[in-house]
Amino acid sequence: MSNVLTVAANAFREAVRDRVLYNLVVFALLMIVAAIFVGQISIGIEQSIIVSLGLTAISVIGLFIAVFIGVGLVSKEMDKRTLYALLAKPVERWQFLLGKFLGLVLTLAVNTAAMGVGLFLALWVVKHPLARADLYVFVAVYLILLKLALIVALALLFSCFTTQFLAILFTAMLYVAGVFATTLRTIQGVNLTPSTTAMLHGISYLLPNFENFNVMAAVAHGGSVPGAMVLYATAYVAVYAAIVLATAAMVFSRRDLK
Amino acid sequence: MTRRSFGELALGIVVVLGLAGVWKLQQKIDGQQQAMHLESDDLALRSGNLVKGLSLEYAPLMGAIYWTRAVQYFGAKHQMHDRNLELLWPLLDIATTLDPHLVVAYRFGAIFLGDSPPRGAGQPDLAVRLLERGIKENPEYWRFYQDLGDVYYFNKKDYAKASEAFRKGSSYPGAPIWMKVMAAKIAEEGESLETSYFLWKQIYDTAADPQIKKNAETHLKLVSAQMAIREIDRLSAEYQVRSGKRATHLSELVQAGLLKGIPLDPEGYPYVLGDGGKAELSVDSPLMEQQLMQKTLQP
Repeated sequence: MSNVLTVAANAFREAVRDRVLYNLVVFALLMIVAAIFVGQISIGIEQSIIVSLGLTAISVIGLFIAVFIGVGLVSKEMDKRTLYALLAKPVERWQFLLGKFLGLVLTLAVNTAAMGVGLFLALWVVKHPLARADLYVFVAVYLILLKLALIVALALLFSCFTTQFLAILFTAMLYVAGVFATTLRTIQGVNLTPSTTAMLHGISYLLPNFENFNVMAAVAHGGSVPGAMVLYATAYVAVYAAIVLATAAMVFSRRDLK
Repeated sequence: MTRRSFGELALGIVVVLGLAGVWKLQQKIDGQQQAMHLESDDLALRSGNLVKGLSLEYAPLMGAIYWTRAVQYFGAKHQMHDRNLELLWPLLDIATTLDPHLVVAYRFGAIFLGDSPPRGAGQPDLAVRLLERGIKENPEYWRFYQDLGDVYYFNKKDYAKASEAFRKGSSYPGAPIWMKVMAAKIAEEGESLETSYFLWKQIYDTAADPQIKKNAETHLKLVSAQMAIREIDRLSAEYQVRSGKRATHLSELVQAGLLKGIPLDPEGYPYVLGDGGKAELSVDSPLMEQQLMQKTLQP
């Protein structure tokens, strides 16, 4: 386990050195501008706009980091040939993968937590005093982090057997498909046969369902998020990421690195 | 068994069991989301012009996507028996702003908006607004006047405006002669079963959407039943004149030679005579529920 944690800590340090956290400046500027102007150009929807905009920014920025850095975690080490030196040490390939995964998730956790605090401050500026329900913003941020963790796992899997470009493409495509997973289940169609409907239903359950982590509409309107849902979503990501990482480890262990 | 094949077998088992777990968890999350009444169709942008600006040169494509969203939204709400169709108008508004020539969005959108709940949103004023915009953007398309006439006739019960809409539409090149007939008939009689039957038949024949077709079919069956009931009542009155007593069962009309047999409604259930000697649908008939729903919804 210490090997995994060492790789994770290094991956985190590397991300910080690569100035990944600079995006926080962009986010802070966005929130400041929104907080100043939204009250002047709209009536009665300040909270909704600030929360929607903030959560969207957290999600989009995190998505870029998860996909673009996620697919580079393995291939960059291979291109720079640092992977060979690392694997010459008593580090198993699966430990390397798991460490990289945890390192990037830690980077994303720090990033989203900082943005979550920034969003909360912006909310406080436009609407004080804050209500108890406003704390659900942090729940929404946590669910975004869960989503990002799942995307990192998928990006890692694809980067284990294909080029960086294709890995980005596959991850992005799976993300888009996952956003529409619930829609697949309720889709209405004139020409859909029962077997097609059943197939779509099955696929909708097997795809990573990214709608599970979207509580933006509820939180933006001061609604609550049940604890059980957060628990199930956490378990969902734990199980799904475990499957994806186990598959990635298997693929990576079979890969000829010569 | 080698170490590698054992590993692969173990991975296979983990993946299968894991996916089964994912399936179960997804069902749990679905349950939680339903309990939260999460409105996943929330519209961040409700201004059609703003969305059009953001769509750059892809506005027609975006219009088609918004129209699809409107159909999915309406279908899903219908399936869940959810009467809150708050987003229907904004979705149609955006779809037709993005693509002003999206004829299908005006036509079927007006049916979705105009029909009374639970079949539609019960917003005939918005249906009229949508169709008037359609006429403005597509002045050569006569069928919008037919749809406008239908909304005024069925949903708003404004027979003068319904007649006017059919009359205007009938003046278009290519418009069928029955538009002129409808204009005159509605202006003269207002609402009548024959007119209702004819208009629903037109909707039934031209609708491509199965939901709209089914709705029109139900209305056609109801109107047919009402026409049959009217005829039975006429015969029942004739029986009373001839025999000097009121019929209590339809078999008396059969025995008197006024009916060839006990008539059946469009669902195959026999009509019955009620306490007042008036013909009614059987309580077992599925049409009874539809009729009650219609009566409840009438102002």
